[in-house]
Amino acid sequence: MAKILIVDDSALSRRVSRRILEPAGHTVAEAADGLSALETYSLDRPDLVLLDVTMTEMDGLEVLNQLRAMDPLAVVVMATADVQSSTRVLAEAGGAVGFVIKPLTAETVLRAVAAALLGQAGGAK
Amino acid sequence: MILSEEQKDSVTELVNIAFSRTAAALSELTGNRVDLAVPDVSAYPIAELLPALGRFVRGEVATVHQIFGGPVSGDAFLLLDIAGAARLVDLLSDAGAPTTHMGASAREVLAEVGNILLNACLGVFGDLLQVRFTFTVPRLHLDSLGSMLGSLEIGGDEIRHALLIGARFHVRGSEVTGCMVMVLGVTSLDRFVEAIENWAERATQS
Repeated sequence: MAKILIVDDSALSRRVSRRILEPAGHTVAEAADGLSALETYSLDRPDLVLLDVTMTEMDGLEVLNQLRAMDPLAVVVMATADVQSSTRVLAEAGGAVGFVIKPLTAETVLRAVAAALLGQAGGAK
Repeated sequence: MILSEEQKDSVTELVNIAFSRTAAALSELTGNRVDLAVPDVSAYPIAELLPALGRFVRGEVATVHQIFGGPVSGDAFLLLDIAGAARLVDLLSDAGAPTTHMGASAREVLAEVGNILLNACLGVFGDLLQVRFTFTVPRLHLDSLGSMLGSLEIGGDEIRHALLIGARFHVRGSEVTGCMVMVLGVTSLDRFVEAIENWAERATQS
């Protein structure tokens, strides 16, 4: 089981993610904005980051870039309602290893998290 | 009506999902990436809507207006400043800039774009909230904000509120500033917020 950082400016989305991840045995931390996410990541070094894209101040793609600059091995799954293919391309180019479309469901989140963690273990990043 | 912080958060998240789909529809239409800011959600009595709208659009506006019906009924508007509307039409066709004297072709393009964007947004609302909306044919108005809002008050036989959903989006590097406004009667606004709360409850319980 993994230590997962949820980054989302919506309290509702963070609650939904937590309700999905904790029963599956994961330990969860939360950040409501990009800056808090970077601080929390540097302190806690979670195994995986579930990262929203559309946020104020610093959007998820920028957070992704800064996270990967801080830790090139950071495992990041994007969680977003933005279904534009260009967003997925940008996320993948930034080093995200997974992409989950909102509204979040247990099935899609747990599948993406499992695949991302497996990729990390297998050195697929 | 004042939204509680929790209600506002839930409405914002629902709107964010709906607007993201709307941005995707706009991206498909234009063939360009659309960058979307976090939507700003707030509720106002109609009389207080004009200054609130000024944060998003000013002066002459291009408005696509659609009336929707169902368990929650009201008016939906896509408002674009004239320059933004012109950029949007230019991206989509060679119909020319939408001025008050613009041709039928440009008007048709803008009305159709508004129809697609409003339906994309309201369609997500309907799917997630499990309500069915019906739509009238979209109408395009080129007018000042004050005139547009004045027309809303005429014939209003109940106290009406506006759920103001403001979102800035960028298409191909050229800023197109606009916002969507839903105007609901008191009963519909209550139902809408209740439906969102139920959706939020289902989402956290699943």
